[in-house]
Amino acid sequence: MGKILVVDDTLFMRTLLKNILTAGGHTIVGEGEDGDDGVAKYKELKPDLVTMDVVMPKMNGIEALKAIRGIDPNARVIMCTAVGQEQMVKLAIKNGAKGYIVKPFQAPKVLEEIKSVLGS
Amino acid sequence: MAEVPVKIEKGGAWVTTKIDISEDRMALPDPFGVEVPYKNIIDLEERKSIIIVTIKGSPDVTYRIASVEKVLTALKIRIIKACNAYRIMAYFMSPAIRGGVLVTNANWEKGFIAVMRTGIWFASQAKQVCVPLKEVASIELTKREVQKKQTDVVKIEHLEDKDVVTSFVLCPISTLQVLYNYLRDATKQNEMKGDELDPVSAQVAMLVYSGMDTHSIEGMLNLSHKDLDAILDKLLGLGLAEVMLVRRELQLTPKGVRYISEAIKPST
Repeated sequence: MGKILVVDDTLFMRTLLKNILTAGGHTIVGEGEDGDDGVAKYKELKPDLVTMDVVMPKMNGIEALKAIRGIDPNARVIMCTAVGQEQMVKLAIKNGAKGYIVKPFQAPKVLEEIKSVLGS
Repeated sequence: MAEVPVKIEKGGAWVTTKIDISEDRMALPDPFGVEVPYKNIIDLEERKSIIIVTIKGSPDVTYRIASVEKVLTALKIRIIKACNAYRIMAYFMSPAIRGGVLVTNANWEKGFIAVMRTGIWFASQAKQVCVPLKEVASIELTKREVQKKQTDVVKIEHLEDKDVVTSFVLCPISTLQVLYNYLRDATKQNEMKGDELDPVSAQVAMLVYSGMDTHSIEGMLNLSHKDLDAILDKLLGLGLAEVMLVRRELQLTPKGVRYISEAIKPST
């Protein structure tokens, strides 16, 4: 089980992810409302894993991923985006994302992906 | 021609026999005594170690054939290649996404797509995947990056053991358009106008999709039990969901209260 930081600009998606992850036994150590906020929370909270939305105001998820990996090259970040933006996968993986989930998602599969990334 | 061991269902019992399979037909010996040209087959379904073959006739005839994986694979490939179906050469990726998570070892497979009466078959020498039409949730003509180019693909979403699975088909755009139209017509019963749900009901539907139970949904959306119940009725009425489980909330009777009161008394 891990300490997880959830970064997404919509309250609805943050709440959904928090519910799925806590039901799966993980601890939510913080939430970020945009890329900037996510990077700041990462520095402060040092989570085991981050779920990062791709499209966000201020700093997008890819830029936030780069910044987090700059702070901690071993950071585990799972990118999370909407259907139709799958082309971002390669860019995210190239920049060190450990996994990728596409909205809408199903709880058991998200938990499997988190478990796999935490175990890696 | 090759002779392969199978079991074929007859009158509720399984008959152990051997069938001859060739490039264009299969021969079922007595007590069946029929030769089946693959081009007469109008449907092929798969259930674990069984394939179900339907042959056009008056009425149509169905055979349930069980065998080892190697034999069924050889049969499936021959049938899918030659049966009476809408068929195109294509690249396919199935599954590409499962439950919102990208399948890491998903690759484009070169093969063909056959749309039969009850399902869509993706087939290559190495892989045969059937998507039952009744499980297809959506068909979309969209773009996907293939070899660094934005390429037209048909995206098919379907249900598989409660997982939402996404597959992609890639072929020339004119053929894709025909495939898309064909599949859209074949799955018309699942189409919606898009204005049937208000925003809150749509959020509830999204949470059900994600696997949230009603208690969590009430808490997340700050809905009363009565309001959520009305939304669930709407989803059920529109055929968007089905009842999976009825959960009960209880209140103790005086007898129950007495039992608990007695039970927590310290023993003397």
